[in-house]
Amino acid sequence: MGSKRGRSVIAATFIFFAISCLNSISTTQVGTSMLDSDTFCISDQYIMKSYFTTQSSLNESEFRSFLRLQRCSENIPYEKDVPAVATLQHREVAGEGSHRHLLTTIGLRQSHLHELVIVERLPLGVFADPFELQSLQQRRAFSDVSVFGDTDLEQPSFRSNRSVVEIHVEINGNGEISVKLPLHARYQPIGESGYSRVEFVEPDLFLCSRYVPDQEHEQRRCLVLSVGRSKTQTRSVVWDIPAGIRSHTEYVSVITFVAAVLSAFSILVASVLSSKVESCKNTKEL
Amino acid sequence: MSRGSEKPDESPKWMNLMSFRTLLVSSMLLRVFLIIYGEWQDAHMEVRYTDIDYTVFSDAASLMASGESPYKRTTYRYSPLLALLLVPNSIFHRSWGKFLFSASDLLVGLFIREILKLRKVSEKVCTVSVMVWLLNPFTFTIGTRGNCEPIVCAMILWIIISLMKGNLSQAAFWYGLVVHFRVYPIIYALPIILVLDSKLFRSGQKPPLEDWNTLTSSTEKKTFRLKSLFSRERIMFGLISGGVFLACNAISFYFYGHEFLHEALLYHLTRTDPRHNFSIYFYHIYLHYERQFSAVEKLISFLPQFTVQLALVFSFSKDLVFCMFLQTVAFVAFNKVITAQYFVWFYCLLPLILPWSRMKLKWEGLLCIILWIGAQTHWLLWGYMLEFKGVNVFLQLWMASLVFLAANTFVLVKIIQRHRFSPLFRQYVSSDRKNVEKLD
Repeated sequence: MGSKRGRSVIAATFIFFAISCLNSISTTQVGTSMLDSDTFCISDQYIMKSYFTTQSSLNESEFRSFLRLQRCSENIPYEKDVPAVATLQHREVAGEGSHRHLLTTIGLRQSHLHELVIVERLPLGVFADPFELQSLQQRRAFSDVSVFGDTDLEQPSFRSNRSVVEIHVEINGNGEISVKLPLHARYQPIGESGYSRVEFVEPDLFLCSRYVPDQEHEQRRCLVLSVGRSKTQTRSVVWDIPAGIRSHTEYVSVITFVAAVLSAFSILVASVLSSKVESCKNTKEL
Repeated sequence: MSRGSEKPDESPKWMNLMSFRTLLVSSMLLRVFLIIYGEWQDAHMEVRYTDIDYTVFSDAASLMASGESPYKRTTYRYSPLLALLLVPNSIFHRSWGKFLFSASDLLVGLFIREILKLRKVSEKVCTVSVMVWLLNPFTFTIGTRGNCEPIVCAMILWIIISLMKGNLSQAAFWYGLVVHFRVYPIIYALPIILVLDSKLFRSGQKPPLEDWNTLTSSTEKKTFRLKSLFSRERIMFGLISGGVFLACNAISFYFYGHEFLHEALLYHLTRTDPRHNFSIYFYHIYLHYERQFSAVEKLISFLPQFTVQLALVFSFSKDLVFCMFLQTVAFVAFNKVITAQYFVWFYCLLPLILPWSRMKLKWEGLLCIILWIGAQTHWLLWGYMLEFKGVNVFLQLWMASLVFLAANTFVLVKIIQRHRFSPLFRQYVSSDRKNVEKLD
């Protein structure tokens, strides 16, 4: 348990895309954007591992250009013309209060790659608890999971940066995969309405060949299913988190201070009176 | 629980069955059962019995056991001593820490009895006081859930026992250690120094204690002498405790560097947590979090706390245990952050003052208990609405904090009014020397 956790902790943040494998046959990928069905290779356990060592933001275009740099070496077999289709069937934030679950259901049709990798770029304002995810992994909810970026559990959202959760799920053949990711709300910046809206983008999906722990430096091939697809057909998934109201500021501060002074004064008076009574009693008896 | 109201033939039957030994054994069994149950619940249910802090301590201890810094574990904000104590968690069983904390908790029960017996409190009153600690649901859950506060309470009570027996250096050693462990006992420095008046306390001798049975206390008129301000005992206490404190910090700094300073010490001194808690200041801090507080603002918010502490010390320092109790309640109530685990700090001192209280359980005592617990429950209901239902109730939650402060103030004032003032040490008068030996 210690070594596995050590690996995932050490596996800090991956650079987004591994070396994209340019093949003379696939001519559809041109320009600066990475389209679906591109393949690339990674030599680490997580796709996100080295991204944060060179980048500090979760900018999509930076992510894409990073991925384009991930090249496959010559000896990795490439099976061309293997269709893989993934559809995002369902996405919602379920639950109430500050602790909710992000539910995602993906329909998948392909045959030869065995690991689905979901990269969730979390918006500012929510966070995932790495320790909670570790215990979920132990209970086999995911085959692997890691959090990258800012994982400070205590900072309010205007002080923290965003974080990314990379989830690996083992798949066999086709079908539906459901993922339930527990998330927690940070304290939001104060506003006027009393609530702060947090929006979730769609996850980036990849299919990779199975990770073999002994062959850590062997490259494995990954197929891009979707990257940064903006919210087109579906309504975006939102979460309204309570936030402080700016107009309260003045009178909350004044009343807090007045309350503290009144309480302190009552205790002061009670102490002084009590010790006066005691000394009166003693002098009477003497 | 006034001494005058006790009549032997009126005591209820169950009190006769409950000898101290039975009480101790049954408390021990209860705690063992809860620890075992806690392991079961952690493995089988969604909601864990074990406190999240215990996981933090255990992780830090296993890091320390493998030679790394315990501060690599995020949110570990304690002395390296705590991680050291829990190293057997990785060697024997992960529940070692819980057993250690529950054992400290039982030790506190023993110390309470010792302190009361030293002041010649009757057996019945003694047993009831110990029950207030051992059978308090908050007490037995806190140790079995893996919270480290019982160790701090045991150390504080041991310091009181050492002072009562005249062991100055021992008291000073443990005081330096406990301040290193948890910063808050620094508030006891002033009353302890004040009570080490050479008219009351001379090191190397067992000081005469004011018994529970004494109705009046003889107090000479206070004459202020500058020379007595720096008595030998006071200087010794200051030097030994200061030395132990600095030595512990130096050793920790040597091993763990700046991380230790920031996480274990500075964090507690500058902690302003905007997340909701019982303190009246939480909403004020949250609303101002985007801009820093100026030094003047920080000073102003510290003034009520400071004034209350000084008032309590100068009014009650002679009755040392009572003073410590009041100071702790006030300290927690006026603090910028209040969490439920801080309540243990004064729960362990409460049994020590009950024998001197004129407050009857019916109805004044019950009123205080109901008001205090009621104010907490009221706050918790709003807290539930905010955290588990996601409704913006910040204003109502803040008002519930104000109500809680009012309840604390009321209970504190009532306890002060109903207390039978009784100095810890009896005054040395030259003709009393012979009597002192006889009493011993």
